[in-house]
Amino acid sequence: MAEKKDKLSTKRVHPGVEEMKKSLTEGKCSRREFLRTTTLLGISATTAYGLASKILGEDILPSLISTAHAGQKKGGVLKFGMMVQEMADPATYSWTEKSVIARHIIEYLVETGPDNITRPNLAESWEASDDLKTWIFHLRKGVKWSNGDDFGADDVVFNFTRWLDPKTGSSNLGLFNAMLEDTGEKDAKGNPIKRMIKNAVEKVDDHTVKINLKSAVLSMPENLYNYPTGIVHRNFEKEGGDFTKNPIGTGPYALTEFKVGEIAVLKKRNAPYWGGEVFLDEIRFIDLGSDPGAYLAAIASKQVDALYELDLTTLQAAKNIPGINVLAIPSTQTGVIRMKVTEKPFTDKRVRQAVQKCCDVERQLKIAHHGLGIVAEHHHVASIHPEYFKLPPLKPDIAGAKKLLKEAGYPDGIELTCNVGNTNGVWEQNSVAVLKEDCAKAGINIKINLMPTAQYWDVWTKAPMSLTSWTHRPLAVMVLGLAYRAGVPWNESSYNNPAFDAALDEAEATFDVESRRVKMEKVEKLLQDDAIMVQPFFRSVFTAVSDSVVGLETHPTKYYRFHKVSLA
Amino acid sequence: MVLLLLKRIGFMFFTMIVVSIILFMLLETGLTGDPATRVLGNFASDAQKESWRNQHGYNQPVVVRYAKWLGNFATGNLGTSIRYKGPVKDVLLPRLWNTAILGFWTFAIMIPLSLILGVLSGMKEGSLLDRSISIFGILTTSVPEFASAVFFSALFVFGLKWLPGTSSMSGGFEFKQLILPAMVLVVYDFGYVARMTRASMAEVMQSQYVRSAILKGLPYRQVIIRHALRNALIAPFTVIMLQINWLLSGVIVVEFFFAYKGFGALLLEASLNNDIVLLEACAMVAVVVAVGSQTIADIGYTFLNPRIRFT
Repeated sequence: MAEKKDKLSTKRVHPGVEEMKKSLTEGKCSRREFLRTTTLLGISATTAYGLASKILGEDILPSLISTAHAGQKKGGVLKFGMMVQEMADPATYSWTEKSVIARHIIEYLVETGPDNITRPNLAESWEASDDLKTWIFHLRKGVKWSNGDDFGADDVVFNFTRWLDPKTGSSNLGLFNAMLEDTGEKDAKGNPIKRMIKNAVEKVDDHTVKINLKSAVLSMPENLYNYPTGIVHRNFEKEGGDFTKNPIGTGPYALTEFKVGEIAVLKKRNAPYWGGEVFLDEIRFIDLGSDPGAYLAAIASKQVDALYELDLTTLQAAKNIPGINVLAIPSTQTGVIRMKVTEKPFTDKRVRQAVQKCCDVERQLKIAHHGLGIVAEHHHVASIHPEYFKLPPLKPDIAGAKKLLKEAGYPDGIELTCNVGNTNGVWEQNSVAVLKEDCAKAGINIKINLMPTAQYWDVWTKAPMSLTSWTHRPLAVMVLGLAYRAGVPWNESSYNNPAFDAALDEAEATFDVESRRVKMEKVEKLLQDDAIMVQPFFRSVFTAVSDSVVGLETHPTKYYRFHKVSLA
Repeated sequence: MVLLLLKRIGFMFFTMIVVSIILFMLLETGLTGDPATRVLGNFASDAQKESWRNQHGYNQPVVVRYAKWLGNFATGNLGTSIRYKGPVKDVLLPRLWNTAILGFWTFAIMIPLSLILGVLSGMKEGSLLDRSISIFGILTTSVPEFASAVFFSALFVFGLKWLPGTSSMSGGFEFKQLILPAMVLVVYDFGYVARMTRASMAEVMQSQYVRSAILKGLPYRQVIIRHALRNALIAPFTVIMLQINWLLSGVIVVEFFFAYKGFGALLLEASLNNDIVLLEACAMVAVVVAVGSQTIADIGYTFLNPRIRFT
């Protein structure tokens, strides 16, 4: 152990980097996969790009995120159209919008860019042990909190401990499962209660933190840019635990005005920022309600400079407005029509499989999302995820569905109710409507229960059948860990399959892309066969930006960051 | 007269009490879902919910809770909003003020416009002016607010680019942002009030005392202003007072469409977000305004029509 500690205490290159170099040379992995994996293993993005250039013999320019563009002007106020929600506790955020505001005040240990490459942020570098079970994060020195305190290891240890305390209610519990152990107790729903393993996070010195995992996880750095992992000050709880009332951060902006449902105003801090100069003096997040038309009208009349998202219903209209650029963001955002395995009639796998067999994924994408996206295979892994394993294509099988229903004891068909809250647009309700039509052919009558967005979030983990919109995650293993691992807070289908958990653990522990892809076959197949969801497509997302905005980069998860944005 | 006033005020309080009981039963007794789950959210454990219920007195008898709730409301303690995480009063009052501003400008334009056009129309029933005003009034009133909002936006925001598309006032109050919402409300409401005024005026113009006054040789202007107008205004007065109630709920569509941060939008947000505390406060404020404005209307009649005063 002492030997291992010594080995880890000096900066080292993970042996996996050599293997990745070999894979790239032999054409077994793509440039993108090489860059992503080697950066996760701790080498800098610049070095990774350099290595890839050398191996491939091409000049690959590092498309570094937040890069300043030549001739950018300082000053000005950026007005951004987005819902402003209550955002008191960064650990419990369940909407990306909250993190878009918070991202300018507090910061993350790492940063995953629009190119899906993870780069240092508050952690200036990291190293992983050969078995990927021990990670050492070297924290940036000289970073100050806005209250004057030094940022350091105590802050990071505090955050990890808080995230992994079930009382906090953070979704990070699902993400950092390898740092948890069972308490032996069960909650009211029968799910095991977990707690952080003692010494799962250790302070090595003031600027070094060691993470000890019970199983190997490659995506550890990437997980640290998941939106509820913003690092708050070590006294966050002692000082009230309300971020909007006490917005202490290490970022370049300070929260000066905050009204839920109305506005959030950020002003540039006077103190020098460790990350270099930011251009905008002020960022105003303007809440225009939940009507997509209002956002379009606001950008058309120059009341806002950019939008968080352009709804599918206003997409065409926006393209016709002069001075507005419509940007498409490739993403793995999706709608999952999940069936709760603990609620009748979905306790019977055959009923779930019958529903899944009725779904025509091509028709779903065409009708519900205007063909803008990619078809999926009911396992929440997209063909653009690096670890995607291609399973045989799916075709609707109405006869098969009828047979399964008969075997399950429903020879005359079955009545189901599907809840939908249109939390990300009317495409959600359209998707359920298409499934309803498809299922009717097999005698499955789906009643659509359309609910207001907020009410939907009251039932999303409780309802027997409902459509939930899931955001993009750069790695499939990240979203699978959050949504389908036994007992995690966001496991809305109450799926509990030890074989799946083990297969996922194994895939997470494999850094070689080719091997991980092979291991994902089992993961995808288990999810598909257990039929806990109908997941017909991954959708493209859109935004609109005015000509006057320079340097705004879109992000597949809509993790907007305005550090290097300026106005023309 | 004093008795009438007391009766009206007594009735006002009675109505408010009845509505408050209904509201309390619907929102606070679990008839529409567990209040603890709404406040604490989905991840709260049963123990946390139970502790919250104890802390907030939800385990006390319903009558005791109602008495406390009513007492708090009467003393201005409207509770803490679930969505806004702050005192309801701090959220509600600025929103009510914003709607009052919108309502003021809507009424300031709509009332003179509809009264003048209604009176002109009713004075000469069947004339070209009467028909033109009537057709215009019917047309505008029959177009729903959301449709006229889309039409005006298409014309003034996307087409002519004269007006801002939303009215969030995020950079402070700007009169220009008020034009579109007020325009939609005026256009929708004006026809109704004008038609009522016209009908009332036409009826009065047919009455014997007006005919006698004209036959007596009184100047036409004097007949209209002194004799006809006062009686003709009773019906429009009722309608206008009712418009205050309509405005509080009718602005929901307009405020939602133009992202105006008023009372209507707040009411909608409260209901969509299950913010029962805020919803209760908004509903009670709407009831107070409705009952209050009707009481004022009732008292107002007595000045316009002596027959009511003495019955």
